[in-house]
Amino acid sequence: MSPLWTFLPLGLAVVSAGTPWGFRGLSLSLGLAGLAWVALGGMGWAWGWGAPFLYLLLLGALTLGLAPYLPAYLAHHPREAHLYALLIPLFLASMAGVALTSPGFGFLFLWEGMALLGYFLVALEGPGALAGARAFFLASRLSGAGLYLAFLGQGHLGADWVWAGLLLGFGVKAALFPFHAWLPQAHPVAISPVSALLSGAMTKLGLLGLYQSQYWFGPPPLWVGWALVLLGLLGAVYALVRGLGEEDLKGALAYSSVENLGLMLSALGAYFLKPMPLLLGAFFLHQVAHALFKGLLFLGAGALEERRISHLGGLFRRAPELGALALWGMVAGAGLPPGPVFLAEWQLYQGFLQGPFLMPLAAGALALVGALALYFYVRLFGLAFLGLPRGEAGLHWARGMRLGLGALAGLLLLVAVAPGLILDPLGIRTYPNGFLLVLLGLLAGVFYRRIRQLPQREYGTWDCGFQPLTPRMQPNGLGFAEPALRLFPFLRLRAGEHPRLEEPLAEVYAGVGRAYSHLAALVQTLQSGSLHLYLLLQLLTLVVVLGVVLL
Amino acid sequence: MTALLALLLAPLFSGTVKWLKARLTHRQGPSPLMEYRNLAKLWRKVWVVPHPTTPLFLLGPIMALLGTLGALALLPILPGLSFKGDFLLALYLLGLGRFLQMLAALDAGSSFGAQGSYREGVVTVLAEPGTLMALAGAVLLGEGFSLSGLPQLGVENSLVLLLALASLALALLAEGARMPVDDPTTHLELTMIHEAQLLDHSGPLLALYELAGSLKMLFYAGLMALLLPGPKPLVFLGVVGAWAVVLAYLETYGVKLRYLRLPDFLSYNTLFGVLALLGAIWRF
Repeated sequence: MSPLWTFLPLGLAVVSAGTPWGFRGLSLSLGLAGLAWVALGGMGWAWGWGAPFLYLLLLGALTLGLAPYLPAYLAHHPREAHLYALLIPLFLASMAGVALTSPGFGFLFLWEGMALLGYFLVALEGPGALAGARAFFLASRLSGAGLYLAFLGQGHLGADWVWAGLLLGFGVKAALFPFHAWLPQAHPVAISPVSALLSGAMTKLGLLGLYQSQYWFGPPPLWVGWALVLLGLLGAVYALVRGLGEEDLKGALAYSSVENLGLMLSALGAYFLKPMPLLLGAFFLHQVAHALFKGLLFLGAGALEERRISHLGGLFRRAPELGALALWGMVAGAGLPPGPVFLAEWQLYQGFLQGPFLMPLAAGALALVGALALYFYVRLFGLAFLGLPRGEAGLHWARGMRLGLGALAGLLLLVAVAPGLILDPLGIRTYPNGFLLVLLGLLAGVFYRRIRQLPQREYGTWDCGFQPLTPRMQPNGLGFAEPALRLFPFLRLRAGEHPRLEEPLAEVYAGVGRAYSHLAALVQTLQSGSLHLYLLLQLLTLVVVLGVVLL
Repeated sequence: MTALLALLLAPLFSGTVKWLKARLTHRQGPSPLMEYRNLAKLWRKVWVVPHPTTPLFLLGPIMALLGTLGALALLPILPGLSFKGDFLLALYLLGLGRFLQMLAALDAGSSFGAQGSYREGVVTVLAEPGTLMALAGAVLLGEGFSLSGLPQLGVENSLVLLLALASLALALLAEGARMPVDDPTTHLELTMIHEAQLLDHSGPLLALYELAGSLKMLFYAGLMALLLPGPKPLVFLGVVGAWAVVLAYLETYGVKLRYLRLPDFLSYNTLFGVLALLGAIWRF
C-alpha cells in the first residue's frame, strides 16, 4: 500500500479552491487528508516503520486542526484568500512528500519546492511581510547550499564535510543557533495558519532530516553530537531571553519555537553521543507535543487583531474559551506537568544525567531553560489575557476557529494522558501522567467549587487607598521582562522614553551581510561589459589551464 | 503520606517561627498553635472578588497548594509513591503551582501583583538551576535514579552531599520567600516579592496561599532530611525544628538583601549545584 493515496484529498482541495463552494470543499478535503495521515502515520509508527510516519502523524494532527479553522479564518481575511486556499494544500503535500522521500534528486526537488511555497505563503501577506519573506528565502538558500554539499559530496568528501553540510542544511531549517535568526522574522509575519504550519511542521523536517541522516550517510562524527548539544542549549537560552523582550505576540511564539527546537536538537545530539532510548523518546515526544501546542497557540493568536502585548489585556473575560484553550497550550508550552512537553523534558533530564563526560551539567542548562520558559509564558498569558484591557483589541473568534483550536487542544490532552502512543514503539515507560492529570483536575475542581460557594463580595483591586488604578499602571511587555533581561548581558536594554532592546548578534549578521555585498562588488568589477577584458580573461584562463595540465 | 504529615505540621512550623521571633525580641508572642486557629478563621471569612478577575484568580492559590502537596507526596519520608525520575516531577509540580500563582497575581490588574510576579520569576531563574543540579548530583550518587534511593551523608560522599545540602538550604530561603531574599513581614509593597502576589487574595484564598508557603519550606526541609542518616520521620522532624530556630534567628538579627543584590547571593546556589554535580560525575 503506497502512502501516496493519502495525497488525493489535497488534490481535491486544490481543485475546489477556485470554485464558489471552495471553502467548504477545502475544509472537507483537509479533514480527510488529516484523518488519512493520522491513521497511516499512527499505524506506521506503532508498527515500527520509522520516523517519517511519526512525522506524517504530526502533520495529520495539525491538518485536522486546520481543517475547520482555515475557512473560518480566511472568510474574515479576504485578502488573497483563494490563493491561500490553493497554496496551503500544496505546501502540506510538499512537506509530507519530503518526509516520505529518501535522499536523492527527488528529495532535493521537494525540499526546494517546499521552501519556495513557504516563501510565497509568507510573502503573500503583503509589503509588511517582505523583509520576513526575504529572511526566509536567504535561510532556504543557505540550507540548500548545505544539502548540496552533503548530497553531492557523499562518497567524495570525508564524513566531517558531509556532516558539516547536513548540519547547515537541516540545522538552518530547524533553527540551530546561530542560524536561528530568520525564524522569528519570517514566521510571525505570515497569516496565523501559515505560521502554525511553518513553526509546527516545517521546522521538524530539519530534525527529521538530521535523524534520518545517520541511516543515509552513516554515523555522525563525535563533534556533531557535541555541537548539537551545546548549540541546541545555547540557542534555547538565547531565544527565550530574546523572546522575553519581544513585543509581538506571534514573534514571541516564534522565539519559543527556537527554544523548543533547541531542546530537540540537543536531545538528538546527546543521542548521537550515547544512544539511549530515553533521548529518542524526548526527541520524538517533544516534536509531537510542540507541533500541537504551537499550532494551538499560533491559531489562537489568529483570533486577535492586535498582536502587540502592551496593547492587549483582559482577553480572558472577553473570550473565556479562547483563554482556557490558550492557557492549556501555555501550561504545556512552559514545560510544566501534566503537559506532554514536560514528559519529554523529564526524559531529556534523565538522558543528560546519564550521558558521557560532562553532559550531566547540561541538566543545569535545561533547568535554566525551564525557569525562563515559566517566566516567558507567564508574561505572554498574563499580559495578554489577564488584568485590565490596555486597549480595544479587535477579536474575531468564529465557530470554525473554536473547533480547530479545540481539536488541537484535545489531541494535546490525548498525548498527555497516553504518551504511550508515541513512546511505546520505542520501549519507554513513563510515570502515569494521565493519573496525575485526572487527580490534579479533580482536586482543583473540588476546591474551586467549594471556594465559589463560600461567602464573597465584589470589590475593586487594592490601590493603596490613593487614586484608582488605570490600565496603564500595569507593566507593559518590556517592563515585565526587564528584571530578567538585566541578568543576561548578551542583550542591551536601552531605557528612556521609548525603551528598546538591542541585540548585538543582529549587528554581527548585518556585518556578515555587508562583507558579502562588499565581496560581491569586488567580483563585479570583472564584469565590466568590455569585450577586450573578457577576451583577455579567456586567454589568461587558457594559459593557466594549459600550464596546470602540461606542468 | 508525607504530604499529610506535612499538611498537619505546616501551621505548627510557621507558628513556631513566629513565636520564636517574638521571644527573641522579648515579646510574649502568639502561641505556636495560633496558626491553626488563624487558618480556620481565614477559611470562614468573606473573601473579596476584585472586579477584573477571572477563574485564574482562584486557580492560583488552589494549584499553589496542590502542586506543593503533590511534590511532598513524592518524598519517601513516610512510605509513599516512588519511581524513576520522581525528583524532576516534584520540582516541576512546584513550578506548576508557581506558574498559576504568578498568573493569579497578574489577574487583578494591580501593579504590585505584577511586580511580585516578575520578581518571583527572577528568583526562580536564579535559584532553579542550582537546586536541580545539586539534587541531581545527590541522586546520581544514589540508586534507582529516584528520591527513595538517595544516599545518606557519610564519609565517602560527604563533599557532594554537603554541597547539595547547602544548595537546598539556599533554595529553601529563596523559594520559601524568607530573609535575606524576601521579608515575609514587610508592610511596604515596594519591597515585597512573595507577599505582593497575595495582596488581593483574602479569606480562604489567603489561607491556601499561607499553607502552600509553609509547605514549600517543608518540602525543601524534607529533601534535606532525606540526605541525612537516621530514621526518616525523626530526621525530618529534627530538620524542621532546626529550620524554625534558624529562620527565627535569621529574621531577627539579619537584614533583607537589596533586590538587586539577589543575583550575587543566589549565584552561590548555582556554584554549589555545579560543584555537587561535578563531584558526582568524578566521584570525589
